[in-house]
Amino acid sequence: MSSIIQCSGLSKQFGRKTALAQVSFNLQQGDTAALIGPNGAGKTTLFSILCGYLRPDSGKVQIFGQQPGSSRLFGKVAALPQDAQFDPAFSIGEQLDFYGRLQGLNLSAARAETERVLALVELSDQREHKAAALSHGMRKRAAIAQAFIGSPKLVLLDEPTAGLDPANALHIRQLISRLSGDVSFMISSHNIFELEQLCNKVLYIQHGQLSSQINAADSSSGQQHLTLQLEQQHDDALLALLQQLPGLISVQPGQKKELLLSYNPAQNAQFDLALLQCLAANGWGYRNLIKGQTLEQKLFSVS
Amino acid sequence: MSNLNTLFHHIGLYAGFELRRLWQTRSGLMTLAATIVIWALLFRYAIVPAADLIASRGFTDFIAGLFGNSGLQQLSRWPAPELAVYWFFSLLLLPLFSLFFTANQLCSDLERGTLRFLTLRSSRTSVVLGRFAGQMLVQGCLITLTLIATLALAAWRSGGLSFEIVNATFVILTNLLLVLAPFTAIMSVFSALVRSAKLAVSLAIVTLGLGFALLSWFIFYFPDFLFLLGYLPGAQVMQLLPQHGWQTLQLALLPLIQSAVLLTLATVLVNRRAL
Repeated sequence: MSSIIQCSGLSKQFGRKTALAQVSFNLQQGDTAALIGPNGAGKTTLFSILCGYLRPDSGKVQIFGQQPGSSRLFGKVAALPQDAQFDPAFSIGEQLDFYGRLQGLNLSAARAETERVLALVELSDQREHKAAALSHGMRKRAAIAQAFIGSPKLVLLDEPTAGLDPANALHIRQLISRLSGDVSFMISSHNIFELEQLCNKVLYIQHGQLSSQINAADSSSGQQHLTLQLEQQHDDALLALLQQLPGLISVQPGQKKELLLSYNPAQNAQFDLALLQCLAANGWGYRNLIKGQTLEQKLFSVS
Repeated sequence: MSNLNTLFHHIGLYAGFELRRLWQTRSGLMTLAATIVIWALLFRYAIVPAADLIASRGFTDFIAGLFGNSGLQQLSRWPAPELAVYWFFSLLLLPLFSLFFTANQLCSDLERGTLRFLTLRSSRTSVVLGRFAGQMLVQGCLITLTLIATLALAAWRSGGLSFEIVNATFVILTNLLLVLAPFTAIMSVFSALVRSAKLAVSLAIVTLGLGFALLSWFIFYFPDFLFLLGYLPGAQVMQLLPQHGWQTLQLALLPLIQSAVLLTLATVLVNRRAL
């Protein structure tokens, strides 16, 4: 698989504040990558560099083998920039038509493309409205629509569902999920559960540094995990029972009514089955059994 | 498409979009309304009574004081007095109006972040040059409208239009665009520096005023550098005023070079700044 984003040793300072320090990562074709980190961690700075809005102080970044902002990337790389607003003087449709024209479409093709992308975000009936007449959520969806004009190969989305109601947030997640594979995505969000559903790669950035990179396919060879959520709070008797399960390496209480079990599949390939039988035999009900750790557990070692 | 073709294509698209802003948006229509009000006053008090004004003692004294009797003779050689008065007032007033009307080439888009949408699809250079071209087109439209009104007045007074009058109209249009180009390019530079049109105008006025004052002070002590005043934007206006006909284009090189230099500066500023 070929790399579409290659970053090495990327650093950026704003005065004395270090926004990014020696950030290096690769993104492969077809990847849907999550960019996670607390406020002020450097996510938007990294996005701005990838979009060509900012220049790094040092380090190298290439997208499809080109410098960010290169004319060869026009139409190939799309983005939802944070806080960018449409021109209030023109309707959303007129502006999307214009963006399509800039991407090389003729007038009728640009209009058809505007219809298509507005339909993707369920805003077809808002074509003639100006941005000021739309709600915050609608403006956000219109901004997402502009990112899908043409056929971008890489879409960078900075907080795509922030400010959207649950139904529209779900709709955007479904849209990303449907298009991922053909299109590579990089998504920044604070909604860790959303990113867990969408992304196969996670970049965790903190204090301007990439503190961890996780691939969904990664798993430790000798150890696997189950996250068990019980119907009631566990007690010492249950923990003692679970300790006797063949193959168990450790069992750790998680959040309320949650247990994180680590086991060796070489010793017991059907550990999950054994666990469920054990629970049933001892009268313990469960709500959820998740194979593996949640993204939250992986990133923050929640226990 | 090659890079150069794409650049010109994008410049054309941006210029067309700015023209639509004039005719189809509220802010554009306000610009149009302001132009109509200003020119209505000029028509009422200067262009309609043009023949009387040129003959009036005050006006002739003023022109003779500035350019001597030859200047007065040259002004009277325009084929219609309406055009002579139009030429006089537009050369003096339009550069100032241009600073106000073209101040928002980039600043609002920088402030809103709209440039982030645009630069994903076109180069920053094409945005700068396209917006400049758009502003020149808009000003060209406004000048053409007022010139058509002046022509209509001249035709109504003299009972018809001659080739000389139409030819002189094109001379005026071409020269005004040449005069306005460096002022529009100045606003390209200042609108790339700040995030509000008002601030861009203030900055332009202060910078131009301060620059002129400093240069004058410098020349006071070093008179050998007097020629530098001739390179300021609009420096050729006073030389243009007493001229007429296509010979005015002898002074076209300076504003063209000034515009090219200023647009290069604006492009460098926009390419270097964070969006």
